Amino acid sequence: MEIELKLFGSSKILSENDTLLIEVSDNSNIKELRQKLEKLITEKYSKNNLNNLANTAAFFCKDDEIIDDNYKLKDKELISIIPPIGGG
Amino acid sequence: MSLHTLLVDTKEEKISSEKAKKFILSEENGAESIFIGRVRNENSGKKVKAVTYDAHDKAVLKSFKTICDDAKSKFDKNAKVFLEHAKGYVPVGEISILIAVSSGHRDEAFKICRYILEEIKHKSPIWKQEHYADGKEEWLPGHSLRPKEEVK
Repeated sequence: MEIELKLFGSSKILSENDTLLIEVSDNSNIKELRQKLEKLITEKYSKNNLNNLANTAAFFCKDDEIIDDNYKLKDKELISIIPPIGGG
Repeated sequence: MSLHTLLVDTKEEKISSEKAKKFILSEENGAESIFIGRVRNENSGKKVKAVTYDAHDKAVLKSFKTICDDAKSKFDKNAKVFLEHAKGYVPVGEISILIAVSSGHRDEAFKICRYILEEIKHKSPIWKQEHYADGKEEWLPGHSLRPKEEVK
């Protein structure tokens, strides 16, 4: 199945678009999305500032609430990746 | 109305301290505290020319309201609070954040201002990308919203 990842902050380096489509196995959860993301970053985007992004990022569901690693993903679901924050 | 929060799109407008001063003015509040954050021309030895702020708008506005309501509950429920944060490209010297508070007394006004600033840094999904004089750019590290016990 496919997840649409909405990109913020440093994760924007992953694509020129606002979102990135990621293929994950059926019934995947956030933990598996992290693993997929880590693999993708290592293989295709070995750029500065992405170190450990898959591990340190939080994820929001469409209700803009933080979801934990056990959250079951749905096909075509829009998930926001929230890299470590630092406004002000 | 005692609370104003906004993400300011820098392509359309600039953050103004005059608007903030007017908003917090109140005959009931004798103390005013205003914090203005501006983009600095240097960071960790690198010459900075501007910062781009990215934000998850909906979550930021929700966090702003929660943080400001908490601050008022903790220190002075009659305080008036004005909070604006920039989103987009902000050149050196321009305002990135403005927090203005009027309260009954100075101690509460200072505390509310400081509380809001520190909470934003840890709770509001906002990111900074610095643009350097040498043409390079870099997203700055920050505070992870992932529960601490889960981060490896």
